[in-house]
Amino acid sequence: MDNISIEQSERAPGVDFNFENSTFSLKGESYPEDVTAFYGPLLDGLEKHFEDLKGTKVSFTFDLVYFNSSTAKILMGLFDMLDEAAEDNDVTVTWNYEVDDDNMEEMGEEFGEDLEKATFILNEVAIP
Amino acid sequence: MLARDMYDFRDELNEKGIIFCYSGYITEAILSGIGSALKTKLALEHEERARTRSLFAVFVEQVQNVIRYSAERIPEGDGDESDELRYGVLIVGKSDDKYFVSCANLIAQDDVARLNKNLDKIQSLDAEGLKVLFKQTLKGETPEGSKGAGVGFVDIARRASHGFEFDFTKVDDTHSYFCLKAYV
Repeated sequence: MDNISIEQSERAPGVDFNFENSTFSLKGESYPEDVTAFYGPLLDGLEKHFEDLKGTKVSFTFDLVYFNSSTAKILMGLFDMLDEAAEDNDVTVTWNYEVDDDNMEEMGEEFGEDLEKATFILNEVAIP
Repeated sequence: MLARDMYDFRDELNEKGIIFCYSGYITEAILSGIGSALKTKLALEHEERARTRSLFAVFVEQVQNVIRYSAERIPEGDGDESDELRYGVLIVGKSDDKYFVSCANLIAQDDVARLNKNLDKIQSLDAEGLKVLFKQTLKGETPEGSKGAGVGFVDIARRASHGFEFDFTKVDDTHSYFCLKAYV
């Protein structure tokens, strides 16, 4: 699968999906005009990638500072997909939040607590 | 006269602490533009990052509600949603050291009871209850008639550190006017 790299914009996160190394990241703010149009191809790519993947180290890093409720619904599905992939792979999900951003910390906790098989890391980072 | 009238209008808005006031067709481009100006204004005033983010989050959810659900639209009736305009009023202001985002739009009379019940329930919940409802809604199927996650109001309630108010007033047999004001 071709890697996906999308530059961060005002309303959509930067995307770095490296299928070769199974490292993935989303960074920035997310309130795209049309969440399905933005995330649809990304989720499709991941789903295909995980279909036959076994015994692989997978890393997914979230560096989000804000997302709207439509994005939250997408993230919930993404966490489910990652936990499913963790049945056959070594999946680590890292959720970075800025110092003192209680809301993003809480969101990370809420999404992370549902992971049963994937390893979850909640990580406080300095404000850039 | 022209300038005097406008100055009086400006004064009236100022007295109410209104920072932005928009009435008209609201589009995603308007959301981006006003949103960006709002962020800049708060940054210039050195407002706390967390408070700025919460205010911005409430603003986005409120504006997207108008864009998606206002019953005052052109073309009228159900049509291609990619090429339509929806009318609403958006106000962002600050009074008594609390920011507020107020949005109002026309809704179908048939939706009033459901919306009222939904908002009453959200308003009755504490932080823990809102957290549970937020997750339940995210995990459930998107409710009928919803174009987003159906979780926008719960998100507003969670971010509105000083709560929210809402109200309806009947306009004619088929429509009511709906307003929601959230405080951060």
